[in-house]
Amino acid sequence: MSAARNNDAMIGKSSPWATWLVGAVAFLWIIPIVGIIVTSIRPLNEISLGWWNVEQFTLTLDAWRTVWDKYPLAYAFWVSVKISVISTLIPMIFAPMAAYAFHFLQFRFRRVMLIIVINAFVLPSQVVVIPLFVLWRKLGLIDNIWAVIIPFAGMSFAWAVYLVKSYLDDFPRELIEAAQVDGCGPIARFFYIVLPNSLTPIAAVGILQFLWTWNGLLLPVVYLREELPLTALLARIQGVYDRNWDQVAVAAIVTTVVPLIIFIVFQRYFTAGASTRSGSKE
Amino acid sequence: MAMSTSTDAGAADLPRVAQDPANARVSALLASAARRTPMGDTPAAWLLLLPLLLFFLVSVVYPLIETIRLSFYDIRGLGKPTYVGLQNYFKLFSDDNFTTAMIATVKWTLTSTFVSVAIGWMLAMLCSLSPGRTLPFRVMIFAAYGVSEAVSGFMWLGIYRPDVGLLNALLGSVGLDAWQNPWLGDPSTALWAVIAAYVWTQVGLPLMTCFASIQAIPKNLFEAAYVDGAKPYSMLRHIVMPLSLPGVRVAIFINLLSSLKAFDLIFILTSGGPVRSTETVGYFMYRESMQNFKLGYGAASTVILLLGVLLVSIPVIIKRTEAAR
Repeated sequence: MSAARNNDAMIGKSSPWATWLVGAVAFLWIIPIVGIIVTSIRPLNEISLGWWNVEQFTLTLDAWRTVWDKYPLAYAFWVSVKISVISTLIPMIFAPMAAYAFHFLQFRFRRVMLIIVINAFVLPSQVVVIPLFVLWRKLGLIDNIWAVIIPFAGMSFAWAVYLVKSYLDDFPRELIEAAQVDGCGPIARFFYIVLPNSLTPIAAVGILQFLWTWNGLLLPVVYLREELPLTALLARIQGVYDRNWDQVAVAAIVTTVVPLIIFIVFQRYFTAGASTRSGSKE
Repeated sequence: MAMSTSTDAGAADLPRVAQDPANARVSALLASAARRTPMGDTPAAWLLLLPLLLFFLVSVVYPLIETIRLSFYDIRGLGKPTYVGLQNYFKLFSDDNFTTAMIATVKWTLTSTFVSVAIGWMLAMLCSLSPGRTLPFRVMIFAAYGVSEAVSGFMWLGIYRPDVGLLNALLGSVGLDAWQNPWLGDPSTALWAVIAAYVWTQVGLPLMTCFASIQAIPKNLFEAAYVDGAKPYSMLRHIVMPLSLPGVRVAIFINLLSSLKAFDLIFILTSGGPVRSTETVGYFMYRESMQNFKLGYGAASTVILLLGVLLVSIPVIIKRTEAAR
């Protein structure tokens, strides 16, 4: 806060009108979010006059109660958890290993492989859709959560390796060399020295990947039929039963509440992370 | 370590090496690596890279090659693929739906990038006038970036619905009944309506990157300008705007890249309709391959999408490749 006050002073007079303007925009900005929250706690007959209409205002948790019986929301939540957690753990464990190898070890094709891996961020997920659909169909993996987890994890390495490796740029090489002199092998050096000291970028990889996989829609829609995560279930019930506006609102809130809380709490990681994911770190 | 002992044993124990040619090759590799590099880390490095390589082969290298290969085939559903050369590409460029999708993608990408970066940048500059007090507002705007596109789509349905949508109700309440419109059902407005919803989700990012750049401007610059009697406006114009360009560039690039791939929001809001007016190339490939089961045709459109993404990414690819040490 004191830093903030310094900044206030820095441009000259702090201007209340700017704060008011930004505040007005911010309140305008959250109208869609407020909309679904209000929709989820008012009876259907009132919502059909518009959720903002306050001629008659009743609060009810009916939609919150009935939605669980009507849609497999709890199950979809569980599927979302499984998909996101597994496809987050894979890069959290393996990306640091690879980043360490690329950064501190010498081996043939190192630079070529590194260049290929970190530039793969350009691939849109549309590229995997058709080939893996054909492959999963052959292997009987359609409607298996691994059909989604494998590409989610595989495509994350491009930015995850880059993120961890950028962090290793500042890692003290003396530590590594000292361990080497003491007879610590290359793999032991990773587990005893680099890994325990790289928890920051690993946490960043975890948070970013968790949100992106939780929010992903294209791959689940293509590869899953009944084992649907929340986003895909929402897409389906929204298309089929749109009469129950209040219940779909509940499903939408359930879909977004976990990632939104994580997002707001860890928002710092996002500005940095989104840049790494799409390749420009500044 | 067992491998290196077998190198020593190898010369004396010829039959064992002959039985195990793979081992001999590894030993030879090891020896050459040890000669080449001071550390001789090759086996350890490959072991550490193995998981990445497996995932990468299955979900990046294989799909990439296979997408390109399939784009030269005619595949209908489960039928046998037939090689058709460049036919799919010729067909794409004479397909009006694809032309529409390309135009929609260009409109989508340029408009959403321009509008969201412009709004985000302006807000960032306003916020920098009193960073402390605007913090909650920044979080509120940035929160939209954290809402999944599937959920954002649902929220915006509530705004665009022709019967009880917020937008039509607002227009009605200020007497602009004539402007009321089934926003998502009218082919002339649907694309712009989806783009507006997309901008809503995206503005938070340029706001944050630009704000970070502004906060990184050395304070003594402002002090010097203040001492010289510069007005707040000219400080904004001559210090803040030029020096926040790094954040603007990052935001432009991220937005270009993610809007080229756009799919989720379109899927929820319009499913590409009405009359395919909201189909971008990223959605076109989904429709052709997963709904019309023309996998080869869909693959060809994916290749075009990939070319577009590559084109936008060239500067970053060059930068990364040069910096890769």
